[in-house]
Amino acid sequence: MVPDAAAAPSQGGRSYPFLLVPISLFFLLLGLAVLRSPSLITSAGIGSAVIVATPLILATYALMAVVIAGRGTVDLSVGPLIGFVNVTLIQLHGAGVLESPLAVFAYAIAVGAAYQLLFALIVIYVRVQPIIVSLSGYLALSGLNLVILPRPGGVAPQWMADWGLGTSIFSPVLLILVLASLGWMLFTQTAFFTHLRLMGSDERAAYTSGVPIFVVRIGAHLISGCFAGLAAIAFTALISSGDPSQGTTYTLIAVTALVLGGASLAGGRGGVFGSFLGAINLYLITFVLATFNFGAVQSFVTNLAYGTILVVSLLLTLIIPFIQRHLRNFSPLLYFVALSVVALSVILHATFDYQSQGQDQPETGADQPALSSQMLTPIDREQLYVAPLEVAAPNQQESAMRAAAAPVILFILLMVVIAVFLRVAFSQSDRRNLAPVVAVVILALVVLGAYMMRHPGGPNAPPVNVEAE
Amino acid sequence: MLPPTPSLSLSANIIGLVVGIILTVIGVVFGFAQGTSVQFIILSAIATLAAFVWGWRYVLGQFVSQTPQTDEGPSEIKRVWLQFRPALIGLVAILLVFLVLSLAIENFFNIWNVISLLILLSIVVLTRTLGRQFQENRSAFIGVMVLSGLFSIGAMNIEGFASTMNIKSMLLFAAFLGIASVGQTLVALLGGLDLSIPFIIGAANVGLLYLISLGVPPWLAVILVLTIGVALGVINGLLSYRLQGQALIVTLGTGFAISGGVQILTSIGTAYGGNVFGTVPGWLSNLAAMNGSTFGIPFPPVIAIWGVIILILTIGMRYTVYGRYLYALGVNRTSAKRVMISELKYWVTMYAISGFFAALTGSLLLGWSGGGFIGVGDQYLFLTLAAVVVGGTSLLGGQGGYGFTVIGVLVLQVLSSFLIGIGLDFEWQQFIFGLLILPMVALYARSPHIRTQI
Repeated sequence: MVPDAAAAPSQGGRSYPFLLVPISLFFLLLGLAVLRSPSLITSAGIGSAVIVATPLILATYALMAVVIAGRGTVDLSVGPLIGFVNVTLIQLHGAGVLESPLAVFAYAIAVGAAYQLLFALIVIYVRVQPIIVSLSGYLALSGLNLVILPRPGGVAPQWMADWGLGTSIFSPVLLILVLASLGWMLFTQTAFFTHLRLMGSDERAAYTSGVPIFVVRIGAHLISGCFAGLAAIAFTALISSGDPSQGTTYTLIAVTALVLGGASLAGGRGGVFGSFLGAINLYLITFVLATFNFGAVQSFVTNLAYGTILVVSLLLTLIIPFIQRHLRNFSPLLYFVALSVVALSVILHATFDYQSQGQDQPETGADQPALSSQMLTPIDREQLYVAPLEVAAPNQQESAMRAAAAPVILFILLMVVIAVFLRVAFSQSDRRNLAPVVAVVILALVVLGAYMMRHPGGPNAPPVNVEAE
Repeated sequence: MLPPTPSLSLSANIIGLVVGIILTVIGVVFGFAQGTSVQFIILSAIATLAAFVWGWRYVLGQFVSQTPQTDEGPSEIKRVWLQFRPALIGLVAILLVFLVLSLAIENFFNIWNVISLLILLSIVVLTRTLGRQFQENRSAFIGVMVLSGLFSIGAMNIEGFASTMNIKSMLLFAAFLGIASVGQTLVALLGGLDLSIPFIIGAANVGLLYLISLGVPPWLAVILVLTIGVALGVINGLLSYRLQGQALIVTLGTGFAISGGVQILTSIGTAYGGNVFGTVPGWLSNLAAMNGSTFGIPFPPVIAIWGVIILILTIGMRYTVYGRYLYALGVNRTSAKRVMISELKYWVTMYAISGFFAALTGSLLLGWSGGGFIGVGDQYLFLTLAAVVVGGTSLLGGQGGYGFTVIGVLVLQVLSSFLIGIGLDFEWQQFIFGLLILPMVALYARSPHIRTQI
């Protein structure tokens, strides 16, 4: 373990070294995605990304909450559960029962929690392996979903369908995601969470040291059920209708995302930060691959990439002990900050220096960015190999833009230097808790970067229009 | 290891033999009445007699070696309650369900359903009373009970359920599932999991047809596909050996990659995007199709292949050093290592076998369906797992065996044809499957209370 483990925020739990792989992968993919399709970093681009990725992220949270509880509780039934809430919601709405947002939320969370409560009670009292209970639930629920709604159809409530448009970053779906993440972070501060982790790592030790393991297990399942309910709402908002089989596919993807995020399937290790990164990584993989037009074999390539990246990132976790041996003071947060600076510069570069691509495909501009990933024309092979590395030949306007961007980059670099300095200074002293400072620095960086992108000419200049020539 | 079969008294032996012969005669008469071919009747008669006599000796032997124990409990009723609590709850639940169904559904209360009810009740009672007497192989006993109960209920309620045709088709599908579950069982015995099986099945299915359509001789193509299956299994084994405890996710990842890769390979140069067309050779179709014949006897050879696999595996795992080492590794790796058993070797070998049998299933399924389809293995993702679990092999390793999985496969297959027989759709079947796995497993695979594990 890292010696000054307390220096990072607690959302990662003790899983610090394991965050190395997801963080690296995240920025690698982000850079690639931005270079391939700069429209990702627009209000609408991020907005649609949030809409599409949120159900997966929440499903991963739902898995994470029970995986920490140990005994190999990989809840295979999370996908069918999402599907079940989705189809019943649509049918009940069709029957005119569920109308108000409050009722819908209450219903979804209650169903999720009730199912998970049943799950926990079976695991505790019938004492069969949790994976069997989840297998049983998977088969039963996915059958039941088809009975309730034989084929995709139905309409979601109007207010919910509006959420799924994804035209702006600040959609209610994002609010759900943020609240869910914050809720888990608050939860990690409680003694209950400590008990949960202890139970996940060593159930017998927890039992002998007086942890009420049954209560803790039920609690973990209830939390997971709430996440599953929220995931179902986000899913319903995304497709704005009912689909009995689509939800089922979330099981395998969410398990993949969970592992990609550094959680241990054996229990005791996992956090909201890693799970978030894992799910986002999967989304970015799909996004990046969608920008290359593979035609008929698109889904096969996606499968291949999923599998390969999953296996490779698992293999990368093997070298973590070596890294730890040489890098005693590794902090994933600092790593995150450093990489995010690189990513920001890539974003700036992609946004300001890539006029050529923008001209070729005017439809990827800010006007209809929500469709960006689908509308890209196939690129020729030469461009595929060279384009990401090519140095753009700046014309008059671009030089001006670069000049405008330069101070931002300089400023960011300055901030990083300060952050590193602070980090070193603090770790030298006895003050171990640097988390608030680093968080403030990151926030400042992000806000500043966003602001500068929007107004590169200074506070009084009009927002830059990339399409203007 | 087999417990030493105790010598039974002469009268017990004679009774067993007589009952077995009576049963065989009934079977033969039944067979002639249905007009089945003579070879088939003779074969099945011999099989019935042998199985019954062996089972008789085995079951009685368990009782002879068992010393009856009576301990003083608090009171008679309370002791019975404590001992048979799950069984009693089960009895009441079944009775309640029956009552509700009879009240709700018209004509439900007829003689056949009442007999079915009685069979169900007796299964519950027998598993809890007789099953207790078995020191080991309890799950096999319960599995056989459930199997025979289900079969007799099906035979009574559904027209043509016990006909040769239906049994043949059940055995055919059971053979596919059984061959696919070989790898899952072996890997589970070591405490691993192999989720790449369905993807390898699909990949082998498409890949074999692709090779044949390229003009490779079919026999060579099959050998190639099987070799590639083994190679993929080795890769799986090596990767998941390095990443202990993550076998589930590693094999899932390689599975995704395999299925994607094979589809990309097969779609290069074609405009169909993953669909492969070609003609399946006759001998491959004969191997797996419903109307195939083995040496003139009209049943598909794949059933015979499965039978051979069962024989080799069960005998091999029981009596060879290799098989015993496998169990030793599954029960306790550290101590197995101490007696110089190579963990890596066994682990990789089991995954290689798993890859081989998955590829074999894929090739056989090509013979059965006659067309390549990447999703042909999808249902085996959870079915192989369910067969292993229902049979009674522990997913934690060290307990169970392929014989158990065979029982699990048969139970799943009979249950599924029963549900089809009473006219339920696929989704209802899946629902009931899901609901039934839990109590089936709960009958024998309950882990002890944490209190007793410290």
